[in-house]
Amino acid sequence: MREVAAVGFGMHPWGKFEDKSVTELCRHAVEASLQDAGVQWRDVEAVAAASSRFSGGKGWGLNGNDVVEDMGSTGVPVYNLSAGCSAGANAFNIGYTLVASGAHDMVMVVGGEKMPKGFIQTSGVEEHTDPEFLRQRCIGMPGPAFWAVLCRRRMHEHGTTEEQMAKVAVKARKNGALNPNARYRKETNVEEVLKSALVVYPLHLFEICAVSDGAAAVVLCSAEKAKQLTTKPVWVGGSAVATARFDDGITRGIGGMVPPGITHHSEAKAAVAKAMSQAGVGPKDLSLVELQDNTVYYELAFPEEWGLCEPGQAEWLLEHDETTPTGKLPINPSGGFISFGEATTAQGLFQICELGWQLRGEAGARQVPNAKVGMSQTIGLGGNATAVVLKN
Amino acid sequence: MATVHAVEGLFADTPNGPRLLGSRCATCSAPYFPKSPVCHNPECTESKIEDAEFGPTGKLWGFTFQVFPPPPPAKYDEPFKPYPMGFIDLDDGLRVLGQVSIEDLTKVAVDMPVEMVIEPLFHDEDGNEVVTWKFKPS
Repeated sequence: MREVAAVGFGMHPWGKFEDKSVTELCRHAVEASLQDAGVQWRDVEAVAAASSRFSGGKGWGLNGNDVVEDMGSTGVPVYNLSAGCSAGANAFNIGYTLVASGAHDMVMVVGGEKMPKGFIQTSGVEEHTDPEFLRQRCIGMPGPAFWAVLCRRRMHEHGTTEEQMAKVAVKARKNGALNPNARYRKETNVEEVLKSALVVYPLHLFEICAVSDGAAAVVLCSAEKAKQLTTKPVWVGGSAVATARFDDGITRGIGGMVPPGITHHSEAKAAVAKAMSQAGVGPKDLSLVELQDNTVYYELAFPEEWGLCEPGQAEWLLEHDETTPTGKLPINPSGGFISFGEATTAQGLFQICELGWQLRGEAGARQVPNAKVGMSQTIGLGGNATAVVLKN
Repeated sequence: MATVHAVEGLFADTPNGPRLLGSRCATCSAPYFPKSPVCHNPECTESKIEDAEFGPTGKLWGFTFQVFPPPPPAKYDEPFKPYPMGFIDLDDGLRVLGQVSIEDLTKVAVDMPVEMVIEPLFHDEDGNEVVTWKFKPS
């Protein structure tokens, strides 16, 4: 496999854009990434795109084809990749593989989404074989309740307090306030977070990501091409995809086995381990981590599940400001999902853009000092997960 | 007006009491709820699926409260009353999701011993009482 460089990062800010189509959001991101790389659309040899569930794609998830038609139909191959909330970084893995394998020298990876308002719904079909339908009809348990149950268990096991969870949101919004691409750019405080509406105990509105519109794009190329374009390319150290294991403790339907041990989010853990191994880095080498914080719970649980810190240590790191951009283990300097909201299939790519800007030292007021290695992670419906390691 | 199940075939009031209706692999003993036509355990050498009943006793692994009316396809009686729900680890090896049936919400606790019951969930358009599986403190 060849070395792969990430030479262009582009993003349309996250928010709600009633008067813009998903194609317009993607065009903005794609053009910005091309300009950043210093290349033209016609230089792109293939497109790997996240299949959106909610917007564009001709109803078939053909979002990459929409982008190609909009930017100019050059006849390039298009790979549309569907993987729930993990799709953006799954598409990145396709783009990475296309370049690493030697199939193409320059690939555009893109993800864009416009979300309907409110909680993400099931298919809407009353299908008795659909576990999502059974969970909601027989138990009255919507999606966010899952996070809440895990979170409440953590409070029991580690003594995590509601104030500590609120502090995760405060930290996220502090970073988001410094990020021009974030949707929520106003700082908050513990009192305000705990006073925000209780969505599903113990999680409050400010502790759960909203749904947003957004798009992001990354230009990947071979080492040879990269050297023609820049003296300081960012390298893809690792790009991994995994799915959940059978014995995972997070029940995917309404019932499963009592797990033999604590094996939660096995898909994310496997992807992270693989990406770090590919990159030849360990937890101590990570300058920053962009993880999928649909809720504040994940920012406490994931670092432990991946061995970035000891079980129960996440709260200590938080309380001692070690997860801020200037701490020992900076987490989500972008502001994370809490500050961006979730444009589901585009999320993995906004994270990778943040890694790129941080490694180049272009992250402005939220810059992680001397950032050399960054890792991002997504997790999506169907037991999909990804991890990406970028390095200087 | 009658009593109907939220979804047919998932649970029953058996001569031994309320049980969940699932299946289990005779080779690797992996539990399935709802029933599965085959064993999905990648470590299992031979799929031998048999009907199995689960419950009634276990522990509440983790919980939350639904504090606002859940969106469709969930259904509830007006006026909406908050309810606890969570993951229940049954003694027979099934981790199952369910509501917790309890009057005093402050008494819900992690690792609380619970027992399966069949109780009303909502009333449908024809006035039928729609029931589901829940867990009460035991």
